[in-house]
Amino acid sequence: MSAATAALKRLKFSREAVLLGVLISLVVVMTLLDPLFLSPTTLLNTSRFFVEVGLMALGMTLIIITGGIDLSVGSNLGLVSVAVGFSYAAGLPLPLAILFGLVVGVAAGFFNSVFITFLDLHPLVVTLGTFALFQGLAYGLSNADAVSDFPPWFAYFGQAYLGPVPGQLIIFVVAVAVVWIILSRTSFGRYVYAIGNNEEAARFSGVPIRRVKIALYSGIGLLVAVAAVIYTSRVYTARGDTGLGLELDVISAVVLGGASIYGGSGTIGGTVLGVLIIATLRNGLILAGVPSTWQLFILGVLLLVAVFLNEFFRKGEE
Amino acid sequence: MREPGETHAGGAAAVPFFRLDGVTKRFGGVVAVEDVVFDLWPGEVHALVGENGAGKSTLMKIVDGLYGPDEGMLEVGGEAVSFSSPREAEAAGIAMIPQELDLFPELSVAENLFVGRKRPRTRWGGLDWEAMQGEARTRLDALGVDLDATSTVKRLSAANQQIVAIARALVGEARAVIMDEPTSSLTEREASQLFGIIEDLTAEGVGVVYISHRLEEVFEISDRITVLRDGHHIETASASDLDVENLVRLMVGRPLHELFTRSASSPGEVALEVRGLTRDGEFEDVSFTLRRGEILGLAGLVGAGRTELAQSVFGIRPAESGEILVGGQEVRVRSPQGAMEKGIFYVPEERRSQGLVLPFSIKNNITLSILERISRFGFLPRSERQTAEGFAKELSIRGAKLSDPVGRLSGGNQQKVVVAKALAREPGVLLLDEPTRGVDVGAKSEIYRLMDDLAKEGKAILLISSELEEVLSMADRVLVMREGCISGEFGGGEATQENVMTAATGGRSGADGPGEKVSGNE
Repeated sequence: MSAATAALKRLKFSREAVLLGVLISLVVVMTLLDPLFLSPTTLLNTSRFFVEVGLMALGMTLIIITGGIDLSVGSNLGLVSVAVGFSYAAGLPLPLAILFGLVVGVAAGFFNSVFITFLDLHPLVVTLGTFALFQGLAYGLSNADAVSDFPPWFAYFGQAYLGPVPGQLIIFVVAVAVVWIILSRTSFGRYVYAIGNNEEAARFSGVPIRRVKIALYSGIGLLVAVAAVIYTSRVYTARGDTGLGLELDVISAVVLGGASIYGGSGTIGGTVLGVLIIATLRNGLILAGVPSTWQLFILGVLLLVAVFLNEFFRKGEE
Repeated sequence: MREPGETHAGGAAAVPFFRLDGVTKRFGGVVAVEDVVFDLWPGEVHALVGENGAGKSTLMKIVDGLYGPDEGMLEVGGEAVSFSSPREAEAAGIAMIPQELDLFPELSVAENLFVGRKRPRTRWGGLDWEAMQGEARTRLDALGVDLDATSTVKRLSAANQQIVAIARALVGEARAVIMDEPTSSLTEREASQLFGIIEDLTAEGVGVVYISHRLEEVFEISDRITVLRDGHHIETASASDLDVENLVRLMVGRPLHELFTRSASSPGEVALEVRGLTRDGEFEDVSFTLRRGEILGLAGLVGAGRTELAQSVFGIRPAESGEILVGGQEVRVRSPQGAMEKGIFYVPEERRSQGLVLPFSIKNNITLSILERISRFGFLPRSERQTAEGFAKELSIRGAKLSDPVGRLSGGNQQKVVVAKALAREPGVLLLDEPTRGVDVGAKSEIYRLMDDLAKEGKAILLISSELEEVLSMADRVLVMREGCISGEFGGGEATQENVMTAATGGRSGADGPGEKVSGNE
């Protein structure tokens, strides 16, 4: 073990290169399992299934860089889905219902941020609470019922194609670009890293820590809401249990992408690769006929391996 | 004063208790100590002096097994040893009492004495509390102190905590005790009690390494003195062969007055005024004024509330009552951003945890306080680099690139980065908290020159420092705090070492200090 560790340490891969290697080998395995996998159509189709997780992972990356976490994203997604579906069913015009959903998503994120910043509570505990709270609210309001009599045009958000490209993939690419620019080119992005590396020093340097955190948790609320609209449109049904357990995929993707759970490091490029790997894996496991319960098991293993590798790379960099 | 060798009982006199020979220790590229020789004989007090950053603590941490030396060796009783932990050092009879005592404040005195040791057990395998308390009482009695072994450590005075730490070392059968700045938070009377205990220890053949920057103390209790400077061994001499003047010269490497730069000053209008500032348990009813072009020294013992006061003015923990006026206007400062907008900037004492984002580059640290100002629509400007470069040059940050992470810089360069960050914000009022702590002599004198220049430019500077020479040489006026209150104020002529110390400790010897309340044991 120690000899192997020493040998590994001498290898100076960039993290992204390793992730890219993992992704390519996964694609090769998938192709061996199913030759159709590598066709452009299949690949583009696959993209329909990771955009929701991807959008949330973008926000989660920034939150994890600050040393925080948001466990409530999956529940919030269900809550927004219910907000859109049931306000529409209650007679609100669909555009307004969607707008209402977006407001609910942001409000839920803001709610988290108030507890985290003003009461100075740990995000893990706060969002564990709201994880239950949002889900309970979604179930309660929907009475565990579902709405699916949307007008046909609602399908655009989750099922439209521009030529061969699924509509939501375009939304995702735009979101990646925007978040990447925010993180690497703006003072806000610099603050995110500063807070994650040393929150106290950031405070002594006049970094508006509260404002940054409120923006982050509310911002991920917006990303969750957009993901919720896409998801609801894609499955054409609004239900309380939509998005159940998605936080696992989201956090796994971010950690796999190299963001340290202790804060301070992480990149959008890494997260995108993390999202692609998890999506490919999920898709491949389905192709291979692995039951969903065992998919969860494998995802858990992957998360542990990712955390271990992160620590490993971190120590190597020191 | 005894000479080493005089008290060696029996046949153990031939070799020192421990000896460091040619010891070198590096941290990354920074040499902390180089080729240092140091020994301790049974029954002597060997003082280790030097400026902050001279390598005293590093050297003693090697003896204590916290660090292994990169070169050189450690001998105990004439035999080479290599400790891999303080526990092994303790087994060899060496105990270190760090400046920040490593006691457990929530536990009782008796429990503290036995933490990490074999504790007496009852027949049933449970802890034998009575035996522990009995043993603790014996130890405390042996030190001649009257302390309740069952009381919680956090309720004890600083002096009694120090005594508990010593008792703890003795429970481990220590033959050599290393004390790092033991009097830094003690009053004069408490310090002399401590000296009595040290004398008793040496009479029993225990050797004491005494690290202190209070030179009078060093002459009072030590047999030999070793001087370190910038990690090098400069001199080891009998205390009787030295005096304060040449000891200081050995420590700083040049006559003292050449280290400091202070031009004649003519303070302008009031830049900062504080009236009746109070924060419960930290400071009470503090008032002072600070003028443009003035350096106001703020002296006092560790824990007197100076840092808390300055941080409060900076908006870290706002005061509960009282007023802050900037340029004659009352302001409400609720956060550091608020303070910065009013032109106040605080340079923290805790450089690594509060002053710097260590993994960030020099550039990113310097501009962290001004990002909002220089950004356009939130976007980082291309000129950020030049801005940072300008300040790095102004402070002559040498031997490092702008893109280097500050965690790898020397203490002096790190401090310059923190100051650069402050200056980038162009504050009218600078609160400097121990600005030269852990900084080498060269950087120190540069920081003094910079402070002088800033005062000449009309900035108002509050200089918090525990180094009296620094305060006395740099400040136009000196305020002294004790137990959260202003206990003395001295104009240029009246500020003497004695006046300031008296006001800081509450001793009775001075004329100007209030001096009524002498703080004793609680």
